[in-house]
Amino acid sequence: MRADTPPAVHMRNITKRYPGGVVANIEISLTVLPGTAHAVVGENGAGKSTLMGVLYGSVLPDAGSIEIGGAPVLLRRPADAIRHGIGLVTQHTTMIPALTALDNVLLGFEPIRLGTLDRQAGRRRVEELSAQAGIEVDWSASAVSLSVAALQKAEIVKALYRGARVLILDEPTATLAPAEADRLFAVVQGIVASGASVLFITHKLREVLEHSDHVTILRGGANTGDRVTSETSADELVSLMLGPDRSAIRPAEGPREGPRQAEVALQVNGLTVRGRGGRPAVHYADLSVRAGEVLGVAGVDGSGQRELAEAIIGLRPAISGSVTLCGDDVTGRSVAFRAAAGLAYVPEDRHREGLILDFDLSENLLLGRHRDASAGGGRFLQRRRVLADAERLLTEAGVASAGPAALASSLSGGNQQKVVVARALARQPRALVAMQPTRGLDVGASAAVYDAIRARTAAGMGVLLFSLDLDELREVSDRIAVMYNGRIAGVMDRDEAGVDRLGKLMTEGRT
Amino acid sequence: MILRRLAPAVQPLLSVVGAFVIAGVVVWACGGSPLEALTALVQGSCGSSTGLLRTLSKATPLLLSGLAVAVALRAGLFNIGAEGQLILGALAAAWAGHAFTGLPAWIHIPVCLAAGVFVGALWAAIPGALRAWRGSHEVIVTIMLNYLAIQLAHFLVNGAMKDPVSMAPATSMVEPSARLWAAADGSNFSAGFGLAVLAAVGVAVLLRHTALGFEIRAVGLGADAARVAGVNVGRTMISAMAISGGLAGLAGAIEVLGVHRRYLDAFSPGYGFDSIAVALLGGGGALGVTLSSLLFGGLSAGATHMEAWTHVPRQIAGIVQGVVIFSAGARYLKGRRR
Repeated sequence: MRADTPPAVHMRNITKRYPGGVVANIEISLTVLPGTAHAVVGENGAGKSTLMGVLYGSVLPDAGSIEIGGAPVLLRRPADAIRHGIGLVTQHTTMIPALTALDNVLLGFEPIRLGTLDRQAGRRRVEELSAQAGIEVDWSASAVSLSVAALQKAEIVKALYRGARVLILDEPTATLAPAEADRLFAVVQGIVASGASVLFITHKLREVLEHSDHVTILRGGANTGDRVTSETSADELVSLMLGPDRSAIRPAEGPREGPRQAEVALQVNGLTVRGRGGRPAVHYADLSVRAGEVLGVAGVDGSGQRELAEAIIGLRPAISGSVTLCGDDVTGRSVAFRAAAGLAYVPEDRHREGLILDFDLSENLLLGRHRDASAGGGRFLQRRRVLADAERLLTEAGVASAGPAALASSLSGGNQQKVVVARALARQPRALVAMQPTRGLDVGASAAVYDAIRARTAAGMGVLLFSLDLDELREVSDRIAVMYNGRIAGVMDRDEAGVDRLGKLMTEGRT
Repeated sequence: MILRRLAPAVQPLLSVVGAFVIAGVVVWACGGSPLEALTALVQGSCGSSTGLLRTLSKATPLLLSGLAVAVALRAGLFNIGAEGQLILGALAAAWAGHAFTGLPAWIHIPVCLAAGVFVGALWAAIPGALRAWRGSHEVIVTIMLNYLAIQLAHFLVNGAMKDPVSMAPATSMVEPSARLWAAADGSNFSAGFGLAVLAAVGVAVLLRHTALGFEIRAVGLGADAARVAGVNVGRTMISAMAISGGLAGLAGAIEVLGVHRRYLDAFSPGYGFDSIAVALLGGGGALGVTLSSLLFGGLSAGATHMEAWTHVPRQIAGIVQGVVIFSAGARYLKGRRR
C-alpha cells in the first residue's frame, strides 16, 4: 500500500479486562490498510470478539486508542462507530423477520421525502450499492423467507448503505456451503477493490490464506503476530495461534480402523417431516447408522438437517416413515422414551437447547436423567448422589469449572459443550444424534468433544453427525450422507467423499 | 459462602427499609410523627400476644396464595388468578363444610380442605392447559378467570348456595366438625397458620428435592433445554398451575374453616392480588415468601392499631406496601430481561 495514506483503522494498545479478572485483550494493536482484506484469527477466547466489539463501540476498552483514517476517535457506542464508517456483520442476522429485506436495510437511516419514507430512493441506492459489490438479493422478499447466505449479503449491503468504509465480518462462513463461501469472498474482493476495507474473523486457515491480504493472529488476548498473507504459511499461523507447545492437539487424523459391526444402531425409513410453515422440510429420508460408526451428514444450512434430527429425537412429529433404535420401532414415542431406550442428542444451540444457564452444573447434568435412580434422580432426588455423579462426570470430561455448584453460565463455550456431551453420553447411549457439536469451539475443545464421542463409538455407539464443516466431517466420519433440499441426495464412504463431489451434491443435489 | 447465600436477601431488605423511610417522610410532611407512627405500627403487629397472633392470622392467606404465585413463577408462569382460585376454593370448602353432616372432625376438616384444594387446582389448570396446548398467555386467561370466579361465587351465594335463614349473601355456617381451632381473643388466629407453614415446607421440598420440582424449575429457566432433554413441558406447566391453584384454594378454604366459618360474599380483600407482591418480594422461594407474608401480615395488623393510637391513617401502611411492590416488580422485570 502507499505509505502516505493513513491506515483505515489503527487500534493502539487496546486492553480490556472483564469483571472477574478475565483479561480479554492485552495491549493489542491492529492496523488495517485501506483497500485490503484483513483476517483476524485465533482460538476461542483469544480475544477476537472483544477486539471487534471495541472497534464497533459495543465494548469499552480500559486502555488504548483508536484512529480511523488517521484521526483519533472515541467510540462509546455502535452509533459512534457507524458514524465513523465502521460496519459489522454478525454471525446471527439482526434483520426483523416480518420486514422486507429492503426495509431492514433502510431501517434507522430512512430516506425521507415530504416527511414520509421515500422507498423508491432507498431502493435505488440499495440496488446501486449491491450491484457495485456484486450482490444479488430479492429486496422485496421478507427477511424470514431469505436463506442464511442471502441474509448475510443483505447485512453487508445494510452496512454499506450506512456508509461503512471498514466492514467487520464475524465468522462469515460459519453457516455457508463452500460454493456460497466462495461467492461471499468474491463480494469481499469487490468491496476491497472499491477502496474500502474488510476485516474478517475466522477459524479457517484456508480462508485466511486464500482471501486475505494481511492477517493478525491473536492468542490468549494478545497479538502474537501480524503477517502479510502471501509471506506466511498454514504451519506458521497454527503455531502462532496455538503456541509452539500446543500445535499437537489437532484431532487425530488419518484412517481409523476398527471393525464395523453389522448391527444397525439407528435406522430411519422414509421419514417425512414438516418444517416451519407446514411445508415438508424432510422428504422420505432413509438413513442407517451401524453400531460403532460415525455417519456424517453434510448439507447447506437449512436443507432439513434440523427437522430430520428433531424428528429422530422425538421433538418433532413425523408425517410418515419410521425411526428404529437397535431394532425397536420408536416412531411416535416421546423424547424421554427414546432417551431411555438409548438415543442421545447433542443439540445445535448449547445455550438455548443444551443447557439451562441459570442452573448449576449438577442440575444441568441431571436434566433428562432426573427420573433415573442411578443418576440420583427419581420421584425424590438424592442430592448427595446427584453431586457425586456430577463430580465424576465433570472430572471424566475434563471440564474446567469451580465444581458441580458452579452455574453453567460461568463456563466458557468449550467447557459448556463438554458438559452437554458428557450428559448425552452419561446414559451410555446406543445411538447419538449430534448437531454441529464443535460449532464455535477451538481446536482443543473440539478434540476433547470428539475424543469423548469416539470413546463411546468404540464401545458400539452409532453416531449421526450433522455438520456444516466439510473438513470436520471428512475427518471424523466413516461415511458421509449429503442432504439437499430436504432429501438425502447421496451416501458415500469417506474415501469417496471429495470436497468437489460433496459440494456439488450439497448445492445441486446430484454429482 | 454465607455471604453468597444472604446476597439475594439484600435487595428486598433494602426496598423494605426504603419503603418505611418514604412512608415516614409522608407522615412527617403531613405533620405527624414518623417515630410515633412506627412505634404504634410495631406495637400493633408484634407488641402483644394478640397483636402477634393477628399478624400471623393476616399472614396465613397471604402465605398460602403467595406460595401459589411463587410455584407458578418458578415454572415461568405468571398466575394472576390466585384471587379467583382462592374464592372458588373457599366456596367449595364452605359447601363441603355444611353439606356433609355427622362426620368426625378428623375426617370432615381434611375433606373440606381437599375440596378447596381440588377446586382451586382445577380452576388454575384451565389456564395451564390453554397455555400448554394452545399457547394462550396465562396472564390474560387468569385475569379473565378471576372475573368469572368472582361473579360465579357472587351469583351462587345470592342464589343456589345462599343460607336461607340469613339476610347476608353467604352460605350456611359450616358444621362444628369442619371448623379449625381458633384463638378466642379476637385475633382470628387459627390452626390454619400451622397448615400454611406446613405448605411452605412442602413447597420447599417440592422445588428442591423432587423430580417434579426439578422439572418445574427447568421449564421456568430454560423451557427449550428442558424439552430437548425429554421433559414434557406442557404437562409440567399444567402441573405447576394445578399446584399453584391448589395452594390458593387451600388459602380460601382455611379462611372459611378458620375465620369466617362460612363463605361470605366478597370476603377477600384481595389476598390473591397482594400475594403477587408477596411472591415477588419473597423471590419465589418458600422461605422468602414466608418472610414477606409475615411482613405484609404485620403491616396489615399494625396499621389498624397505628390509626387508633396516633391518628396516622392506616393507608400509610399501604404506601409501604406499594413501594415494596414497585421495587419487587422492578427486580422481577430486570431478571426477566436477562
